[in-house]
Formats: sequence, structure tokens, C-alpha cells
Amino acid sequence: MPLGTLDRSPPSFFKQGPSSLSKLMFFSALSLFLMVADIRFRITQPVRAVLATALYPVQWLALQPVRIVRDSSAYFVGLDQANASSEQAAQKLILQSLRAGQVEQLMLENNRLRKILGLREQLAISAMSAEVLYDAADPYTRKIIIDKGLLQGVALGSPVLDESGVLGQVTRVHPLVSEVTLVIDRDLAIPVLNVRTGARSVAYGDVTHSGDGLELRFMGSNSDVQVGDLLTTSGVDGVYPPGLPVAKISKIERRAESAFAKIYCTPQALVAGARHVMVVKPVSAQIPARPETSEPVVAPKKGTPK
Amino acid sequence: MMMPSGQQLLLPANPLFIWASLIAALLLNMLPLGRVPWMPDFMALVLVFWNVHQPQRVGIGLAFMFGLGMDVHQSSMLGQHALSYTALSFLGIMIHRRLLWFTVPSQALQVLPLFVLAHGLELMIRLIGGGTFPGWWLLLAPLLESLLWPVVSILLLVPQRRAPNPDENRPL
Repeated sequence: MPLGTLDRSPPSFFKQGPSSLSKLMFFSALSLFLMVADIRFRITQPVRAVLATALYPVQWLALQPVRIVRDSSAYFVGLDQANASSEQAAQKLILQSLRAGQVEQLMLENNRLRKILGLREQLAISAMSAEVLYDAADPYTRKIIIDKGLLQGVALGSPVLDESGVLGQVTRVHPLVSEVTLVIDRDLAIPVLNVRTGARSVAYGDVTHSGDGLELRFMGSNSDVQVGDLLTTSGVDGVYPPGLPVAKISKIERRAESAFAKIYCTPQALVAGARHVMVVKPVSAQIPARPETSEPVVAPKKGTPK
Repeated sequence: MMMPSGQQLLLPANPLFIWASLIAALLLNMLPLGRVPWMPDFMALVLVFWNVHQPQRVGIGLAFMFGLGMDVHQSSMLGQHALSYTALSFLGIMIHRRLLWFTVPSQALQVLPLFVLAHGLELMIRLIGGGTFPGWWLLLAPLLESLLWPVVSILLLVPQRRAPNPDENRPL
């Protein structure tokens, strides 16, 4: 019986259950097992899916206050601000309509030229829109949760875009929600192409205390990169469609003692405040399979026991 | 019964109220306020509170389950919060007989090491698992949790401090 509390029934005298220490041992071992299964073997997806579905009502409830505040603040935005933004949108539309007209013609022309040259048709991209539910509060990674899941047909590994560039990749799919790892996460790498020079490289997420960004690794200190170069997806990975903007180079450090330059980039997508995103089917399904390769004959190394 | 002198005898705790407070703490933790490393963990706080006050009702198993829920919600490593809540709850149960003899501010000081240990455990696990170091603001979280202890002790004991026989002067 707790100190200073009346209780209607006395605590059981003999039936105490397992001791606290044995419970601690059991549950600690269980959580260690789960961690290893999660990180090393990646077999805990069913457990996660079940728990995520069970938690969905609570999550929905927790989202409501924030959503109400956001919607009401959006409602009370001044009239002139709304006018200004609609003016801007109209101007943008005029500029784009010219280009859109050209695009139709160019696509037609491009298709004919491709047919003449006998090139492969460009890959068709199918996409669905989704809303960002919340930023995952885990401070050790950079992930967001979107409101589309297995039931809506989200595939594992799908690229996720917002209106200005590549935002990340779907890394876990639950029945109702999915988890997207952002391009600035340390574990995400994305093959990119420098638009100015055409050089291909790989950008890695780079989370520092000063700010979140990306880093181009393993570029020689004499490589041709400039501050302001745009990096787009190169399309060689078979996941991201080619030509989507990823990042801009913001800072280059060339050091005398290192053979590689340190190249920092800022992501083009809104990694901190995206609300509406687009989930694209990975293009790998449309890419023809690799041709069968015959086993290369390897000469036995000298000195290896036979 | 042995108890500190000059304190009010508390009414029995309502299991429904315990569950409601745990769910409310889970909701508070799930508020989408972004990625804030110093955010106090309300779930841990309420779990330790009930571990100290009602160790028969809220034990290590429940703490483990709520920890798993937090892991899935934050999409962090599965078992990270579960382990930290399990350790926290074990330590809470270990000190529950001693802690209630002290005044509430001094209780807050005594639960501070528990929260520091829980956050340290999480940090260690994540750094081993290859996470990014979230910054020194993380140190503020256990401090804030410990500062919230008096608030929680007042709020969650209110239903037990009602009058045992309500009359016109004391309607509740």
C-alpha cells in the first residue's frame, strides 16, 4: 500500500509476482533484442506496423490542436497579403504558360527525333500527392511522417519531392502512414549531376550544429566546382527520375593537406517546412533487367592455400 | 499507519484516472512541435510519478509498452525508449518507499539523477547505433522534467485530496 494513502483492498501478501529486478532483466533484454533486430537484421517491420496502426488515433488527436492553430492563423492573414500572393501567382502563371506552350511542341519534336534515332522512350513518372503529418521528434535523425501508406500504394524506396526539389526517400511504410528520410539525414546518399559541368557525384546528408545541408564527398581538390552550381539527380541509380534539382553548392573549402575538397551544399527542397509533397514511384521497375553475365574466371592468387 | 506527520491522508487512486493521465502524457509527447532536443519527456515524468505513488498498478511492463509506442511514433530505434523507460521505472520503484518521506521540492531533486540517467542511456544507444549528436541542449531535458515534478505532484494528486464525505461546504 502506498504511503499515506487509503486503499479499499489490502495489497496481496503472498502473491507478489516476479520481483522488480527480474522484470528489469527481462524487459531490458527484450528491448536490447528488439534494437538488434531493428538495426542489424531489420525484421521488426511487422511489430512497427501493428503499433503504428494502434497509435494512429492518438496521433490524429495530438495533431488536431496544432492543425487548428495553423488553419486559424492562415485564416486571419491580411487581405493585402492574399492579394499580393495572388498577383505573384498570376505573374508566375503568365511566365509559365509561355513555356508550357513551348513544352508541348518540344515534347512532340523530341518524341519524333527519338523515334528517328531509335532511342528508348523516356520513362513515364507516376506520382501521388501527400501531406506531411509531423517532423519525427527524434533528434538523432532527420525524418518526416507523411499521411499516405501501404493502403494508398506507397512503395518502399519511393523518392519524395516538393515543389522546389528532391526532399528525400520513403524508408518505412506502415499501413496508414509512411516515414520519409530527408536528404540531409546522415544515412541518405543521392547520386547527383552538376548541371554546369555534367560531372556525376554522390551527395551525402550532412547534419552539423551550424545548419543542415549536404556534402559532396570524394571530389578532388582541383575538381571543377563553383559556388552556386546546381546539382540535379543524375538518374543512374534507378530510383530518382533524372533532372530533379537537389541542392546548390554553397561553400567550397580546398585544403592543402587533403586530396579532396570539402564541398557544402544547401538543399533546394524545403527540408524544414514542407507541407505538401509528391511521392513518385521508383523508376527501377521500368528499367530493363541487367543482362546475364557469365562468371569471370579468376586466376588463383599467389600464396593462397589450395 | 506510518506516515510523515502533518500530511493529509489520501483517498484511493482511481485506475481510470491513472490511465487517463498516462494517455494525456502520451498525447503531450506526440504534439507535433518539431525536432526539439530539450523537450521534456512528459511520458517519462508521469510514469515515474505513478511508479513512486502506485507501484502496484503502474509497473515496469507498462513502462516498456509505452516506450515501444514512443519509439514507433518518433520512428527512432525500436526499443530505445522502451529500455530507458524500463530502467527509469525500475529505479522509481526502488526509491518509492524512501522518496515519499521528503518534501516535494526535495523529491524533485532526488528524481533528477533518474532522468539524467534515462536520457544518457538513450544518447549512448543512439550514438552507438550511428545517430547524429543532437547538441548540448539535450542536457536541459532532464532538468526541465525534474522542475516539472512539483507541478505533476500537485496536479495528479488532486483527485485523491478530495473530501472523503462531500457536504455543502465541500461539494467535491
